[in-house]
Amino acid sequence: MLVLIGRRIVMVVAVVWAAATLNFFIPRIAPKNPIAEKLTQLAGTSGVDPTKIQEMSQAFGARFGLDQPLLTQYLRYIGDMARFDFGQSITKYPARVSDLIGEALPWTLGLMITTTLLAFLIGTLLGAAAGWYRNSKLLSVVSPIIMVFSAIPFYLLGLVLIYIFASRLGWFPVSGGYGLTSVPEWSWDFAVEVLQHATLPALSILIASVGTWAIGMRGMMVTVQGEDYMTFAEAKGLKPSRLFYRYGMRNALLPQVTALALYFGQIVTGAVLVEIVFAYPGLGSLLLDSIKLFDFPTIYGIVFILTLTVALSMLLVDLLYPLLDPRARVGR
Amino acid sequence: MTLLQVSNLSVDFFTTRQIVHAVRDVSLAVAAGERVGLVGESGSGKTTTALALMRMLKPPGRIVAGSARIGDLDLVGLKGPAIRAARLKTISYIPQGAMNSLSPVLRVREQMLDGLADHGIRLSAREAKARVDDALAGVGLAASVADLFPHQLSGGMKQRVCIAIAMMLDPKIIIADEPTSALDVISQRQVIQTLHMAQKRIGCGMVIIGHDMGLMAQATDRIIVMKDGRIVEDAPTRRLFAAPQHAYSAELIESVPTLGSRPSRPSGERPAAGAPFLELTGVSKTFGGGLLGGDSKQALAPIDLRIDAERPRVIAVVGQSGSGKTTLARIMLGLEPPSEGQFRYRGQDVSQLSVPERARFRREVQAIFQDPYASFNPFYRVDHALLMPLLHLGAAGSRTEAREAMEAACRDVGLNPREVLGRFPHELSGGQRQRLMIARALALKPRLIVADEPVSMVDASLRMTILNNLRALRQEHAISVVYITHDLATAYQVSDEVIVLYDGRLVEAGAPERVIEKPQHAYTRALVSAIPWPDPDRNWPLVEPDRASWNQPAVVQPGATCLG
Repeated sequence: MLVLIGRRIVMVVAVVWAAATLNFFIPRIAPKNPIAEKLTQLAGTSGVDPTKIQEMSQAFGARFGLDQPLLTQYLRYIGDMARFDFGQSITKYPARVSDLIGEALPWTLGLMITTTLLAFLIGTLLGAAAGWYRNSKLLSVVSPIIMVFSAIPFYLLGLVLIYIFASRLGWFPVSGGYGLTSVPEWSWDFAVEVLQHATLPALSILIASVGTWAIGMRGMMVTVQGEDYMTFAEAKGLKPSRLFYRYGMRNALLPQVTALALYFGQIVTGAVLVEIVFAYPGLGSLLLDSIKLFDFPTIYGIVFILTLTVALSMLLVDLLYPLLDPRARVGR
Repeated sequence: MTLLQVSNLSVDFFTTRQIVHAVRDVSLAVAAGERVGLVGESGSGKTTTALALMRMLKPPGRIVAGSARIGDLDLVGLKGPAIRAARLKTISYIPQGAMNSLSPVLRVREQMLDGLADHGIRLSAREAKARVDDALAGVGLAASVADLFPHQLSGGMKQRVCIAIAMMLDPKIIIADEPTSALDVISQRQVIQTLHMAQKRIGCGMVIIGHDMGLMAQATDRIIVMKDGRIVEDAPTRRLFAAPQHAYSAELIESVPTLGSRPSRPSGERPAAGAPFLELTGVSKTFGGGLLGGDSKQALAPIDLRIDAERPRVIAVVGQSGSGKTTLARIMLGLEPPSEGQFRYRGQDVSQLSVPERARFRREVQAIFQDPYASFNPFYRVDHALLMPLLHLGAAGSRTEAREAMEAACRDVGLNPREVLGRFPHELSGGQRQRLMIARALALKPRLIVADEPVSMVDASLRMTILNNLRALRQEHAISVVYITHDLATAYQVSDEVIVLYDGRLVEAGAPERVIEKPQHAYTRALVSAIPWPDPDRNWPLVEPDRASWNQPAVVQPGATCLG
């Protein structure tokens, strides 16, 4: 068992390294100079002399190590990544990338993990019921509605929600992670404020993704009902509730859990559009800003963190899955 | 004393297009301690009858008439929770498919006890343990089995667990639906013996559903033959075998292959010249291992085998599941590279064939698989499956030529091309599909056909027809056949040489007259003695096999070409 865990951890390190390497080279294929980009932007807004841009960009290039040979840059980059030192942001200079990520990450993770788990729970239960009670009138009305919502992208759903609940009814704030005038702190009032701000983005993600889980679970539930062990369980005279939960759902859940693990990997990227629509101060917004301005250190930092999250969540599932499925246990 | 009395039971399926009468006017009785066999082809209504008694028919199926009494209880008249209460307590059902009848994610113990809990039986931890241990002991399993998961048990053990579960509340009637399908002969005999033992203990009546008349002769006191939803004959087993009244019963009995009388065959052997067609030298296969794999497992120990194009033979490969039969077949088809040893095709290593040579190899070595229902793509007409290889492997120059070859091949396997071609797979029976598969292989003019359990999913009455098709391949078309099976009787009937595999190793090889009639190896002897004879007076020996002796070295009988 320990050997197996050790082997899996080595795999995680290898995956993260490979992803980090790709991450380093791909942005460099783009024929853009991030410093020149930023300076040009500044030139437009605050009147830097455009003729000096060339000169300044060279000075900054030396400052950020962009004038070094690619291999030197790469080795230094790998060393920095291993220490979680992503350097300073180019666009928000002199802020450190690790600080920027540290500020944004809790917002994204808090919003996305909660909504994903909630959507998974509701969708799975709903799908299981829909697959089980295939003659139910209620479910034959509810299921298609949910399926339709799952076909609508959630940023679009977000806009509709903003229009109805924030703009027309005024029940929830239009945007942001917290009020414009408040300062983040550990207090009851602030917590309520955060919840109020998170409701609409969470709702839009929830409504849009419940259907996906429901479809998957419904299909599995129908498949499981055709299995011999379900026939035998029924022949044993088991109660309907035990058939449903202990035999039906318990077996149908296995592929759902694998799907959940894969989905966790896309959490942050999936959040980008929602965060933009709601001006939510998360990682998605930060990533978008950095890509627009070719802020290499920030992009590297975020992508590295993302890779790490994906690899770690896969590791977690790899290690937890045998608890759910005895067939996946090693040896006896 | 009659325990179960079924009277005029009829089941209809109300489909959108028509009403299908699946069970018509069935009346039967089962006495205490009696073992009744329910036989017939797929679709004859055996399982539907059983499900109707369990009240487990799914829509659109419905009981439309009749009654089924156990004592004062009319199963057909039960409503609501009373239906559930009768299951397991009054009548138990063990469904078809021993391999998958237990939920893979729950321990055996839980699956044994949950039925009790849902019948309102409260047990302390100690009482529960005693009940489980008792029930397992009753089917000859150790108490430790309770803590295992189903995947840790063999097929025979799983089926015995199912029997233990079905017996837990001492029901009056037990219905076992094809209790030994997918089991090899040795496990099959164990399971049937377990059923008998357990039945004797609780004195219930038993219904065994099946289609293998040999097994039925050994396992039942009385046999009920069903055809198209009706009972055509109901007679004591001995009398049915001695003097079947209905033509269909006689046909079922005759279709069982037996040992002792082999059709004579011309030897037609010519000396082999040049390089053999296929040659395996020390070929073995190991799965797993390597950098990222887990434990490695040797699926096939080194084996030598040669097939000459000039000397076509039918080679039967027999053994239990997991014995390496299918691995050997996959290697011969070039689907799996051997881990060690040399696999040569016309003198050349198969892994180094050039592209045109590989196409020729693919054309000359054809496969027929176990499941004729899964062998066709359901979206295409069957012609598609037959024409594609003809056109793409260069066996036919033009579409017309391909069509002619296809029709000729159909006629060769006894099918009327006009009846079967141009149809979709679901419009044909399993037997027709499997013969089309043989026609598909045949049309390519191969030199070798590898057939993996080609008749195990086909109804008994069609088995011999298909096996005769295979024999004709050798006699009329000079094609060698590798026939993979766990059925020794059919191997005996069709082969020129039998190879017995056990646990990945060759244990015996030679002519069928020697290997099966006078087996030398302890494992072959165990296999042969476990064949159920379609003769109620011939006893199945009740000895527990001595597994330790199976590890003795391989016996190669004179005249064998296969070496371990």
